Amino acid sequence: MIPKIKTGIAAFDDLTGGGLPDNTITLIYGPPKTGTSVFCYHFLQQAISDDEFCLYLMTDYNLFQLEEKMMQFNWFIHEYLQKEMLYVLDIASGSIGATQKETATFKISSPQNPTEMVSKIIEDLQSIYQKTHRFRSVLDSTTTLFSFNSPILIVRVLKSYVMRIKVAGGTGIIAYTEGAADSQIETMLKATVDNIIHLDGEKIDVEAMTGCDNVSANYKITDEGFCII
Amino acid sequence: MDLKKTYIPRLDDIFGGGVPKGKSMLFQAMPGIMSDVFGYQIISERVHSDSEIGFIYTNTRMPVEIERVFDKYGWDLKTPLNSGQIFFIDSISGMMGVPPMGKYIIDDLANSAEIVLPAIEDIAGGTAVIENVATLIDSIGADNTIKCIKMLNGAAAKHEVNIIYLFTRWDYEDRLVEQLKNLVDCEVQLFSIEEKVMYRQVFMVVKSNWTRASNCKIFFELTEPGGVKVFIPKLLVTGPYNAGKTTFVHAITEKAVSVERQAFELFPTTVGLDIGHMDYKGFSADVFGTPGQERFDLLLEPLAREAIGTFIVIDSTKPDTFARAKEMINMCRAEALPKVIVANKHDLPGALGPDEIKKRMALWEDVSIIPVSARKKEGVDKALDTLFDLIYRV
Repeated sequence: MIPKIKTGIAAFDDLTGGGLPDNTITLIYGPPKTGTSVFCYHFLQQAISDDEFCLYLMTDYNLFQLEEKMMQFNWFIHEYLQKEMLYVLDIASGSIGATQKETATFKISSPQNPTEMVSKIIEDLQSIYQKTHRFRSVLDSTTTLFSFNSPILIVRVLKSYVMRIKVAGGTGIIAYTEGAADSQIETMLKATVDNIIHLDGEKIDVEAMTGCDNVSANYKITDEGFCII
Repeated sequence: MDLKKTYIPRLDDIFGGGVPKGKSMLFQAMPGIMSDVFGYQIISERVHSDSEIGFIYTNTRMPVEIERVFDKYGWDLKTPLNSGQIFFIDSISGMMGVPPMGKYIIDDLANSAEIVLPAIEDIAGGTAVIENVATLIDSIGADNTIKCIKMLNGAAAKHEVNIIYLFTRWDYEDRLVEQLKNLVDCEVQLFSIEEKVMYRQVFMVVKSNWTRASNCKIFFELTEPGGVKVFIPKLLVTGPYNAGKTTFVHAITEKAVSVERQAFELFPTTVGLDIGHMDYKGFSADVFGTPGQERFDLLLEPLAREAIGTFIVIDSTKPDTFARAKEMINMCRAEALPKVIVANKHDLPGALGPDEIKKRMALWEDVSIIPVSARKKEGVDKALDTLFDLIYRV
C-alpha cells in the first residue's frame, strides 16, 4: 500500500484512496481558469493543517497576493509563515525589481533565469532537509516559465526540479495551462511527472496515478474551493 | 608567457598563474550552481585591479539584475559601466518587455554571433563573459551554437580577448557536452557533493591546454559580499563523552593535536578540540574532533559549516549514550551530511553489533555502522573508505 498525501480536497482524496502517492510529483493541468491554482491553494492549506513544511514556487503572483487568494477561501497563512514552515520562491518579482528583502524562507528569482531558480530551490531544500524528510512542494505555474524561455529548456529544468524534490523526500504538484507549449512539449512534460490530473472546468480527471485507477468526477469552484459533485 | 589572473582563489595556482591572452574558458555547472558568479568575479576583478575592458553578453539575466548581483557580492559595476570599461550585450530585456540596456542589443538569438563579433573587436586584449550557453543551445539549436562559439573563439584569439562561457548543464547529451569541451582551451566543472540534498560545491579543472589539468577538487562557497571563497574540507568526528573520539582522530590522522587535561577523572578527556590533518587516497582534509560534553555544544555548529562528512563515534558497550549520539548528529547538522557511525570498542566484552545498534538508535535504514577498535586501529580504514565512498559517489 502506497502512503498517500491528502490534497485537502476531501471528496477527491476519497476518490483516489487517500490523495496523491507519497514522494511523487503530480502534474495538474487544464485550460485557463479551470482551477489549477485553487488546487495548489488546497494543497498548501492541507500542509498547514497537517503541520508539514511546504516549498511554494510562484511565477505569476507574489506572496502578498497568495495570502489574499488564500483568504478568499478563509485560509490564513500568516501564522504558518511566522513558524517558518512555508518556503516561498517568488519567481514573479525578480525581473521587475522587487524591493523585498530575501530571508531564510523567502527568496526571489526571475522566470528567464532557471539556473538561479534551481540554485535557490536547492538552498531551500538544504534547509528543509535539516528539519524534515517529508514535505510538500508546489509550482504554480510552469506556464510563465514556458513563455519566457525556450520550452525544451524548461522541460530540462523541470526534470532537474522533479529529481531534486523527490530525492529530498518531497511530494509535489506542478501546475500547467494547457496549450502554453506545443503538444510535443506537453508529452515531454507529462513524461517528467508521476501522476497527471486534468481539469476542464467541469470534470476533474485522474489521467495517470501510481497505484490508482483512472477516476473522474464533476466539480465546481465555490467560496470553499473545490467542490466535488 | 603573459598570464591574466582569474582572481578565483586556487584557480590561478592550478593554471600556473593565470590564463594566457586570447584563450577561451568554459565553466560547466551542474544545475543549481551559479557559474555566473565565477564569470562576474573574473571580469570585475580584472576591470578594477588590471584596468581591463570587457563585456557581458546575457540571455538570462537582464542588465539591471546583473547590477544587483554585483552589488550583492560587493563589486562595483556602476563606475566601469559609466566609464565604458564594461558594457552589456543585452539579448533578454526586449523579450521581457523592458527597455534594453547595453552597447549592443540582440532581438533574435540567432543573430548572436554577428553582433558579438564586432564587440570582441571593441575590447581587444580584454575579457568577454557569455551567459548562458544553455539558453543559446535550446533557442538556436546545438549546431548553430557550436558554429557561433567557433566564430567567437576565432575572433577572441585574433584580438587577444579572453572569452568566458558560462554553461548550465541540464540534461544535454554527453556528446554535445564533449563537443563543447573540444571547442575551448580550458574547462572548469562546477558540481556538488550530496547527501539527498546538495550540500557542498566543488570546482575542478578538467581541461587546460597551457598547463596540466589537475583533477583536484576545490571546495568553495559563495559569500556575500566576497564571491567565490575556497576552503579546506573538514571531517568532523563527533559523539558522546568518552566514546573514543580522540583516539579515533589520532588513528586516522598524522600528528593530531588534542587539547585535553588530566582532570580529576579517571581518564584524560578532551575539553577543546582534536585537530589533525589527513591525506588519504589523494584526498586531503582537516579533521576536527569535537568535545563530547554538553557545555561545548556551541562549538559544533561553526565546525559543521565547512564539514564534508562526519564520523559519529559511539561506545558500543554503552547503549545508554546512544540518545546523546543522535542529539549530536542533529547539532552538527549532519542530517544532510554523509556520515558513518563508528561503533568503537567493538572488541570489548558486552559490545553490541551493528544491527543491534541500528535498532537501539532507531536509525534510518541506509546509514553505515562500522565496528572499530580505535585503540587497536581495527576497522579504521573501513570506516574511512565507507565515508569517502559516500562523499564521492556522485
